[in-house]
Amino acid sequence: MSTDLTAIQTYLSFKLGDEVFAINVSKVLNILEMKPITKVPKSPDYLKGVINLRGTVLPVVDLRLKFGLAENKVTVDTNIIVISIDKEGDTIMLGIQVDSVKEVLEFKTEEIAPSPSIGTKYNSGFIEGMWRVGENFIMILNIEKVFSVEEIIDFKEHLTETDTLEKAIK
Amino acid sequence: MDSFKEKFVEEALDLINELETVLLRIDKNTEDKELIEHIFRIMHTLKGNSAMFGFILIDQYTHQLETIYDFIRNGKMKVSSELLDLTLASVDHIRNLLDETNSSKPEIQNTHKNLLGRIGKIIGNNQSVPEKKTEIQVVKEDLKTFYVHFKPSVEILANGTNPLFLVEDFGTLGEYMAFPNNDSLPAFEEMVADKCYTSWEILLATKDDDQKIREIFIFAEDSCTLEIQELSDTNLLTVKGFREKITGIGALHKKIGIQKIKELLTSGEKSASKYDNVLLRDINDVANKLKNISSIRVSSEKLDELINLVSELVTTQAGLSLLAEKINNKELLAVAEDVEKLSRRLRDNTFGIRLIPIENMITRFQRLVRELSHELDKEVDFIVEGSDIELDKTIIEGLIDPIMHIIRNSIDHGIESKEVRQKLGKPKKGRITLKAFHSGTNVVIKISDDGAGIDTESIQRHALKKGLLKPDSSISRKDLLDLIFLPGFTTTDKITTISGRGVGMDVVKRNISDLRGELTIETEINSGTEITIKLPITLSIIDGLLVLIDKSYYVVPLSSINRCFEFRHEALVNAVNNLIYIDNGHVPFAYLRKEFGIKTTPPDIEQVIIVEYGNSFFGLAVDNIVGEYQAVLKSLGSMYREQDFVSGATILGDGTVALLLDPNKIISAFTYKLEKAELN
Amino acid sequence: MAKTILVVDDSESIREIVSFTLENEGYNVLLGEDGQDALKHLNNGPIDLILTDLHMPVMNGIEFIKLVRSNNDYKSVPILFLTTESQVAKKMEAKEAGATGWIIKPFVPAKLTDAINKVMR
Repeated sequence: MSTDLTAIQTYLSFKLGDEVFAINVSKVLNILEMKPITKVPKSPDYLKGVINLRGTVLPVVDLRLKFGLAENKVTVDTNIIVISIDKEGDTIMLGIQVDSVKEVLEFKTEEIAPSPSIGTKYNSGFIEGMWRVGENFIMILNIEKVFSVEEIIDFKEHLTETDTLEKAIK
Repeated sequence: MDSFKEKFVEEALDLINELETVLLRIDKNTEDKELIEHIFRIMHTLKGNSAMFGFILIDQYTHQLETIYDFIRNGKMKVSSELLDLTLASVDHIRNLLDETNSSKPEIQNTHKNLLGRIGKIIGNNQSVPEKKTEIQVVKEDLKTFYVHFKPSVEILANGTNPLFLVEDFGTLGEYMAFPNNDSLPAFEEMVADKCYTSWEILLATKDDDQKIREIFIFAEDSCTLEIQELSDTNLLTVKGFREKITGIGALHKKIGIQKIKELLTSGEKSASKYDNVLLRDINDVANKLKNISSIRVSSEKLDELINLVSELVTTQAGLSLLAEKINNKELLAVAEDVEKLSRRLRDNTFGIRLIPIENMITRFQRLVRELSHELDKEVDFIVEGSDIELDKTIIEGLIDPIMHIIRNSIDHGIESKEVRQKLGKPKKGRITLKAFHSGTNVVIKISDDGAGIDTESIQRHALKKGLLKPDSSISRKDLLDLIFLPGFTTTDKITTISGRGVGMDVVKRNISDLRGELTIETEINSGTEITIKLPITLSIIDGLLVLIDKSYYVVPLSSINRCFEFRHEALVNAVNNLIYIDNGHVPFAYLRKEFGIKTTPPDIEQVIIVEYGNSFFGLAVDNIVGEYQAVLKSLGSMYREQDFVSGATILGDGTVALLLDPNKIISAFTYKLEKAELN
Repeated sequence: MAKTILVVDDSESIREIVSFTLENEGYNVLLGEDGQDALKHLNNGPIDLILTDLHMPVMNGIEFIKLVRSNNDYKSVPILFLTTESQVAKKMEAKEAGATGWIIKPFVPAKLTDAINKVMR
């Protein structure tokens, strides 16, 4: 994170169910409408499959499943966000399937509250911080951390913690 | 100015690489005059051109080196191991100097001073006789071979010249073979008796030069066209196979052409085992000289772009074929088929450009063997077979590190010291062999040594110590050897500076599988170790069979497919022991719907694709076979590394993604599962 | 009419820089990779000067010069050869073969054009 607290960060926010997340715009390459995904047999459920992106074969991850949430029905709002991240020293491209994409937000680094770490084992850095928008909180994801582990990140517990924090901050 | 400099740097790098190869050859044969001459020529060219392009240091340096090699070619000095070391070090130094950003670095300047010092000393030791400024023209007693194409003008007979006498005059210069050709013969009715329609191709082996050949035609110069080319500075007519072949072709009385002769010479390499080394090298040298004349340098970016475009063309063409079938218009279908044939040829051609012979990387290995064997005071012979086998450029680049590591291990741990070898009754010189050959659509590279082998008991002990193995468990020999590929695993108790840190073999294995290759190891105590690397020839376009399972498309590589059979669904489901009965035999099969976890209703009639698996066959059951398909292979990326039975994906004409299956992986996983189930 | 110069050298980088320099001076340049290759330009049009290296594969400079001189059409074309400082014997040999003069390597482009302009006068 930038040490200049007044530096402006730009994020793209999206929803998984009722929860809003955001990732740094520098990681985002593209936003796509839902398209047919070819499933690769014998792969974990959250690896939805691959899609054809203008001649490149791109893996798509269902972020809900990756976060241990139940799968949602695909609606007209379901989108695939194409991101470019560092994994084990290589730059890889992948798509994350989200329920809907919201908007681009800008805020100063100092406006980001630190992520909840109240005695939880989930302080593994998946959430960089939280930003308050009116009554709600947006969770800023460290997307590289999310994909640095192969397992499913059980966010259900994490969400309960953030709920607690939100209530506390309110 | 910059682009000229770049050009020079490119050329100089090529020359340096050539120099390196020749130096390694002269190591085995220090008296070889031709090699010495070659080295001198390279030095001379480097020296002559480097100052032109601003590389003063290189000019200065090569000037000194050239002096030494001049001494050698004049017999004042001999090639010694020390000199070779110095020259090889020079090769590296000059490479560094070609990168101008290096010339101001202190390490480079030091090396420059050091090396020049060493060279200066050697020159000083040989300066007792003052340098002769005159160069001695070497008189060649050797015979050269010329190709002459002599086409007399149609009116030549009217001038009183008999072309036959001219041809016979060749006999005064040496041995010759003459081939008349009738290409220009008009139809019989049009022939006029006193006109000459014949032309000749003549091969002449002579001591003289082409001037003398021209003298034969001195009075006929205006009445004929004459083409003289020197084919070789050796006598090709004594090469047995060549003479017979060309006589055979010449009997057709059609123009042979120098191209065809070149082909005959290069194809002669294959039966070269009959000839002794001198002749063999002559043919190779001619072939090399001839090869050099017809190649051009292409930037890799241009080549990559060309390959991308060809790949896109292949995909688009697939779409065209699909559409043509849908519309079902005869004329369109015919055109679409032509386009398919053309794009297939274009594809093969273009991807062929990326294939380069592995001998390019062999030089590195030879140097490694030389340096390490000196360092460790072991004598090692490094033998290479099949260096002309070609592989995709990317694959070759990816192979260098792993093979270097394997060879390093061989010399460090495999080959024993001279004393130990003597005690064991082995020849004093250790031997490392690298063999490359084709096997199906793969290229196999086997690296073997006749050293100590790997002690499987030692592996077992170390594994137990590290807790990788439980004390009472039994483990197969193959699995035991596979333990070597675990990260950090090493059986040596001391780590040498060269290897033994255990960081090697797992990385080697991963590098090879990143190239979609396989690595296996075989070893016997005191006998030696053999490492086998199997690689696909090209990474990018596969001829496959497009199949359907439920709604998903898959591609199976055509090269592994033997036949296809139709089966009723019930027959497959009720098969006993996973065997189906075809052609009077039983073949095991895997029901892919089940393997892939597809739960929808299967069709009544299904297809079984029989693939070759090792020495036998295996069946893969799918719903439908769609047809043949040229798949442009795209990688699935690291996220799907575990799903190794899928070797990649391809984009179909309509944009859908089809997965490319690796039958070997599917079958081995399937059989492994069965075996485990049986054990339980 | 622009004069034509035939440049013969087995180094592509030298051929490039020399032809660039000469073309800038307004000459028309023909190229050969070695003596043998350069022969194709003979009898194909006028050649007003030949510039050749001496050490080349397939057919070296001396042989090439001799061959050119033996052709009646080229008995009097000026032939300059490229040489390094110390090769006295080679210079004599080239002169005997029929060369008109020489240019010492390495040379700056200006020196090259000077020498050529002088000969072409």
